[in-house]
Amino acid sequence: MITPKEAYETLQSIVGKEWVSDDPAICEADRYCSLSSPTDEKRRPGASIEPANTEEVRAIVRVCNRYKLPFVVTSTFYGAGTYCRKDNSILIDLKRMNTIEIDDQNMYAVVGPGVPFAALQGDLLKRGLYTFVAGCGGQSSVLANTVNMGDAPIGWRTGLGYQRILGVEWVLPDGEMLRMGSFSQGDDFFWGEGPGPDLRGLLRGCAGHQSRLGVVTRIGVKVFPFVSEELKPDGWAYHTTMNLPTNRFKWYNIRFNTRDDAINAMFEIGRCEIGLVVMTVPPIFRGVARTRGVGCAGFWEFWKDAGAKLAAAATDVRVLLYGIGSNKRLAYEEKVLLDVVADFKGSAREAPCRDETNIMAADAICANVVGGRFSSEVSYESINQAVRYSKVVDEICDRHRPPILQEYNSTDWFCPYELGYIAKMECLRMAAVEGIEGLEAWKAETQDACAAGGAYALVPDNKVFGPVWGNYPEKEDAIRALFDPNKISAPE
Amino acid sequence: MLKVEEYKHQAETCVRCSYCKLIDLNWVKSSRFSRQCPIDVRYRFNLYSAHGLLHAALAELDNKLEFTPKFMEALWQCTLCGGCDIRCKRNLDVEVLQVIQDLRERCVEQGKSLPEHKLLATNVKKSHNIYGAAAGDRRKWMGTDVKPAPRADIVYFVGDAYAYRHPEIALATARLLEKAGFPFMVLADEWSSGHELFATGQVAAAKEMAEHNVKAIQSSGAKTVITGDAEAYKTLKVDYPRMMGKSTADMPYTVLHITEFIDQQVKDGKIKFTRRVPIKVTYHDPCNLGRLAEPWYQWEPKYEPPNIAVGKTWRRGDKGVYMPPRDILKGIKGLELIEMERVKDNTWCCGYGGGVGVAFPDFALWTAGERVEEARQTGAEAIVSACPNCKDVLASAATAHNTGLKVYDITEIMLRAVGK
Repeated sequence: MITPKEAYETLQSIVGKEWVSDDPAICEADRYCSLSSPTDEKRRPGASIEPANTEEVRAIVRVCNRYKLPFVVTSTFYGAGTYCRKDNSILIDLKRMNTIEIDDQNMYAVVGPGVPFAALQGDLLKRGLYTFVAGCGGQSSVLANTVNMGDAPIGWRTGLGYQRILGVEWVLPDGEMLRMGSFSQGDDFFWGEGPGPDLRGLLRGCAGHQSRLGVVTRIGVKVFPFVSEELKPDGWAYHTTMNLPTNRFKWYNIRFNTRDDAINAMFEIGRCEIGLVVMTVPPIFRGVARTRGVGCAGFWEFWKDAGAKLAAAATDVRVLLYGIGSNKRLAYEEKVLLDVVADFKGSAREAPCRDETNIMAADAICANVVGGRFSSEVSYESINQAVRYSKVVDEICDRHRPPILQEYNSTDWFCPYELGYIAKMECLRMAAVEGIEGLEAWKAETQDACAAGGAYALVPDNKVFGPVWGNYPEKEDAIRALFDPNKISAPE
Repeated sequence: MLKVEEYKHQAETCVRCSYCKLIDLNWVKSSRFSRQCPIDVRYRFNLYSAHGLLHAALAELDNKLEFTPKFMEALWQCTLCGGCDIRCKRNLDVEVLQVIQDLRERCVEQGKSLPEHKLLATNVKKSHNIYGAAAGDRRKWMGTDVKPAPRADIVYFVGDAYAYRHPEIALATARLLEKAGFPFMVLADEWSSGHELFATGQVAAAKEMAEHNVKAIQSSGAKTVITGDAEAYKTLKVDYPRMMGKSTADMPYTVLHITEFIDQQVKDGKIKFTRRVPIKVTYHDPCNLGRLAEPWYQWEPKYEPPNIAVGKTWRRGDKGVYMPPRDILKGIKGLELIEMERVKDNTWCCGYGGGVGVAFPDFALWTAGERVEEARQTGAEAIVSACPNCKDVLASAATAHNTGLKVYDITEIMLRAVGK
């Protein structure tokens, strides 16, 4: 329940009684989403509200300002950190804002925050177009994820999502409307840089503003031409896949003798500008793939015997070749890839022409296979930095068992984007349920190491990264003071 | 009912990834039909979803939350279609549906069942069927034409819906069995399967039905039970052993849906579809015949660190009756089967299940309307299903939306194909 009651009644008048509730059960179910730190305090919202459009969002935000009610925004709920930290907060849930408009000719889509990647991809594939689907899964919000980072393996070809944002519709914390890029000049989202203001750096801030700077209500995102052949789904429930047309796609699994060879080969593949996806395959991924369909318990059963063996293998790289435009292109890419593999003394093996984790990202939350007990640290910089950082994280992990479980230092995942110009290192560490404090200590150490290495963390600790990155928290505070004078947009 | 520790363990394992809300991502073909959960699509608040209910279940267990009006609405409007449960089995293996069903039991134990659901129990107590119709009318559908065998290997379990609401389909089923050349019995004292009672958390009353029917089947000497009612099928196959603390394999009978039985007879050449049925149809998978129909495997929770469920056999939705109805329809001359976007384990519920059709008919009709729209977009002339309640609510929605779509039970189509 929120106070004053008058505020609640005003919210009811905006969205209708059906779409706002202070029922304790509704609010309890909105208490926190996934990817939230276990040690953060998460308070039950005073009310949850579901606006249908931008005008309703603006009206809600104005009411929040009038009554000094803190608000937090969420949408598809697989979110990072969007939960209420203050009592008497309003949770603005944007699921109903799920419109998709696709401009085939100019190849962009305008989406509301309630659109999951899989829904957009489904509509795009029917039109011979595609977009990246976030690494965290096709069930997550296109808008929220793209504003935050837009991290997806297909980013090897398409770039990180946040660099593909076009026009933006943004309700600022005081309820004012900000239109960015070409959308500021009319009803057209086709271009991000202008004419008109381009404040996308501000929008994204350090690592997505996580609802601390108001509500983004629509964005235009770049989409890309795809093959006209149908991608055919196959399989049952727990073990489905997407069969790719063999005249346009080829997967290769490549084993290198050393990690250096693997890394240098990835650089070379990027220089040759081939491939749709290029990444290392951490042994844990292979464990997950081999136990697909047997669930988390089956995974653990498999892992306790096979983990060490898988981890002992040399670094594997997986490459998806894509004959964009023609099958001749596919033949060309294959020839180039095999030349590169030979140069670095690798051994290439063609893999089945199907996909679970990139086109629809159905297996993207594969880390959950371990039973929801994993922790992740991420850095973004170059491939070389990713390799350096992974070694440091391995050493840190060894000092924190338990709660870090034995994964044989095998989970470091190097996923380069933009043909190798940027790379992610993500370590998916399995952790015991017990000993959350120990996990926090592990996280703190890894953040220190990431900052010291000059890399960019996905969810950076301000105290650690602030001094290293030009005291950005102070700048953020200054910006927030300007945009959010009442300090109500997701206050800490 | 799960032991409290296991109930809590399952609910706590949910990471709120929201995968439970969509169909399998690889099967998404459009944004319009990408979603899985009727309460989520209609109400959108997270409470109206599997992860929301699991989170609320934890709070209720810890005495931090009571069964509020909205909590009750979300809990009782869930159709128990099992879509969330199957989705979760891709990644986390949470027993989502068991937690929701147990949550319903907890709600009933606190005296908070809905009046419409209580009436079901009252009716069953009075006359052994959920409608409160005269018990003596149960075999009325047979008329004078159907003459069950005094002793046979097969029992035809009719179920409340066919016995009282759709006698023509019960009759068609009997005719099909006759044409296949298999003598069958009908229980002299068949009671309601208890499906609705179990679904609405009234487990003691459901168990009474189970014990009576199992005893009656055993006394008949038959080893095979055939039914055309998808709800009765699932109840006899899955819920009865579950209520009795057994596995399906330990029951004294084998249950077959009429489509499984006829499909096998067609494949063995014992029955032939000789007549043309010139119609374009789309097939609606009943949840109770598909993803909910896997055999039950009784398991006493036992874990090894970090999270290994020792000796558990999982039910992940792939062992339902999906292909027999399709193979039957494809084998009928002149009939064209066109699939909807959400099929088999990704099916969208008709809206009737879980006691929703009884207590929330408007919401059931809305849910069915979504399915009818999906069917309409295929260009089919008719929807075929294999469950009496699916047929009824889909037919109502088809009329309400003025689609012109006809709705058939698959038995009606089969009988047309073999000739009367």
